Parts: sequence; C-alpha cells; structure tokens
Amino acid sequence: MQSRLEPHQVKRLRNSLEQDTQLVQQCLQGDGSAWEELVRRHTRRIYNICYRFTGNRTEAEDLSQDVFLRVYRTIGSYRSAYGGFATWMTSVTRNLLIDHYRRTKRDRVTDSIEDKILVVENKESAGRRPDEQALLGELSGQVQSALTRLSPELREAVILRDLQQLEYGEIQQVLAVPEGTVKSRINRGRIELARILQQMGVRPS
Amino acid sequence: MNWTCELTEERLSDYLDRLLQPAEQTAFDHHVNGCARCTPLVASVSHLLTTLRTLEPVDPSPRFVDSVLTATLGAPSWRNMRGWLRGLSSPRFIYGAASVAATLILVLYTSGFSFKKPRLADLSPVAIYHKANSQAHLVYAHGVKFVSDLRVVYEIQSRLRQDNELPSTEEGTLPKSSPSQDPGRTDGTNPAAPRQQNRADGIGRSLEILATQFTLLSLPVGERRMP
Repeated sequence: MQSRLEPHQVKRLRNSLEQDTQLVQQCLQGDGSAWEELVRRHTRRIYNICYRFTGNRTEAEDLSQDVFLRVYRTIGSYRSAYGGFATWMTSVTRNLLIDHYRRTKRDRVTDSIEDKILVVENKESAGRRPDEQALLGELSGQVQSALTRLSPELREAVILRDLQQLEYGEIQQVLAVPEGTVKSRINRGRIELARILQQMGVRPS
Repeated sequence: MNWTCELTEERLSDYLDRLLQPAEQTAFDHHVNGCARCTPLVASVSHLLTTLRTLEPVDPSPRFVDSVLTATLGAPSWRNMRGWLRGLSSPRFIYGAASVAATLILVLYTSGFSFKKPRLADLSPVAIYHKANSQAHLVYAHGVKFVSDLRVVYEIQSRLRQDNELPSTEEGTLPKSSPSQDPGRTDGTNPAAPRQQNRADGIGRSLEILATQFTLLSLPVGERRMP
C-alpha cells in the first residue's frame, strides 16, 4: 500500500507515539498531569471524528466526553502491542459512535429514508449555533450534511481515511475488519458521498 | 485489457491513490475518456477528495477539556490537592521530612522528653529550653570529666614508663657482675641503694597525684575544680 507520509512526518509520528506511550505509563502510576496532557493532545482529533460522524456539535461534545471517560477507566487494558495509543483511542471512539448510532436509530420513529434524513437535519439545526447555520451554506457544511446521509459503515471509513488521514492498516485495526473490506468500504463511501453531493447540487468546479 | 464501468467503480480508489499497474492505468484512462458515465464519476470523486482534504478541523468549546478533567480527575481544587499530595511522594520531600523528623527526635531527646511517658508540659518551649540547657551543661561536664580522666591515666602511664626506663639505663652502665660477690649480698659500697630510693620516691609521688585526682573525680561534677 502506498504511503503518503514523508520522512519528517514519519519521525514526527514516531515521536508522538513515544510521547503517548510515556504519558500512558505516567497515567497508570496515578499522574493526573499526564492524563491532562493526553486529553489535551487528543481532544481535537476525537472531537472531529465525533463531529464528522454525528454532524452535531453538542452530540459530538457529549460523545467525546464519553470517549475520554471510557479511556480513563480502561487505560489499564491498553497494551502497546495493540498499536499506537491514538489508534486504540480511535477504536474506542468508533465503538461508542456505533453504539450511539444504534441507540438513536431505535429512538427514531420514521417510515422512510426521506423522513429519517429530515429528522437528522432537524436535530442538526436544533444543536447548531447561528454561525454553524451560516456554515451550512458553504461547501464544508454541504459535505458535512452529505456525510450524515451515508451509512455508518461507509461514513466511518471515509472519515478515518479522508478526514483523519489514517493508513489502511490503522483503519483495519480500528474497524477490526479485513483490509479488502476496508478498501471496499472506503471506495464505496467516496462514490456514494460524491453522488449525494451531486444530488444536493454540488458540482465539481 | 478490456475495462468496464463496473471495474472503474471498483478500482476508483486505487486509481486515485495511484495504485494501478501501468497496463491497468492505460486501460482505465482509455475507458474513462470515452465513457459518458464514468467521466463525471471520476471527476466528482476526485473533487470530493480535494474538498475533504481541505476541510478545516473544528474545535470543541473552550470548557470541554476542563469538563473532561473534572469528570475524570475531580474538581479543579481536588486536582490541585492531588497534585500537591503527589509532590509529597517525591524523594526530595521524603529525605527532607526524614531529616526534620530526625532533628526533632534529637531535640526532644536532648531536652529530656520521655517518649514512654509523654507529657504535654514537656513540649512547652520554655521547658524544652531549660531541659536542653541543663542537658547541654551535663553533656559538657561529662565531656570535661572524660578528658580529665584521660589526662590522669596518661600522666600515670607516662610517669610509670619514665620510672621504668630510668633504672634500666643506669643499670646498664654498671659492671655486669662481680664474681666475688654473691647475689643479694651487699658490701655497703653498692651505689644502687640511692637509685632504688629514688624510684620508690617517684612511685610515691605518682600515687599521691593519683590519689589527688581520684579525690577530685569522686566529687560531684558541680563541685569539681581542675588542678
């Protein structure tokens, strides 16, 4: 698989992994400041995964907080043999997002896909601030809206690959599926997302 | 290579990631350029990828990190307390605390504080000062006594050594033996008699000094005066 990483990026990634491992060790020894540092280092990434998946800031914050709570409780079960701490944390995030999706799906009483989309859009509007509403008129808002219409399997694959820039191997670890499935989901997700955007009137310039 | 629309969809990500073999790449390009269905598909997905990669990350509210830390580590005050308590377990603090404790125990011990029967009155600064003062004087007096004892002992030893050495030197100058004289017999001309007398006088003086010193040592510490 072709890697997009330059040598200096690989070095930076390795340093980051080592720092994470050291901070985890300090956390396990009860160092609160190490945990605080871990939270600060990963907040943005985890929050963005949640936000891109749910399309709602309030839900994203709640879910991100749940992620950190779960990581805090289960950090003792993390082993560096599983891969980087960031990958492990992304795994925890993904599992919580899927749980959340299934839970909210049961709560929704809808008869058709169109109704479901409408409900999602209304929920988005309710959770957004005026500046977010303004963003909806822009391309990023349209892409975000299109993302929430993708199936969760395709959505998570596209988010991890094209928004979080994870390698195929890392996505394979996070999703716990074979590499062929990862590639297939990413490919189908991209095509589906492009079609949704076309339906929304977004055309390539 | 015969390329189809299904193959284009299936291998589109490989094409975008430049993972197609040269022959596949040629067939892909050839098909897409002449296919009314695949051309817009490839263009739209390429555009989508460009758009996705230029999306700016969003930040949570500024209070987010604090709320996570409060939910995991507790309120800020408790977090600070934990940090402070954690500082107590550092080796520097432990060594410092051990030194202070040792000093405290030493001071209390010196002041005559009884660890078996501790009394609150013994811990008052005035009591500690008085007891420490008397204890210090006592220690000083014991020290003086010890030094003076040593002086006496060394003095006696030196005098005895001196007395032992003197006769042997003088005897060495005398004729070794007189064949005409029986052992233990004196003829009145033997000059050894005054030397023996001198030696006896020396031992007597040593004993007098010793007696004086022992008289001095037997007195209570406060009544003693150095000669």
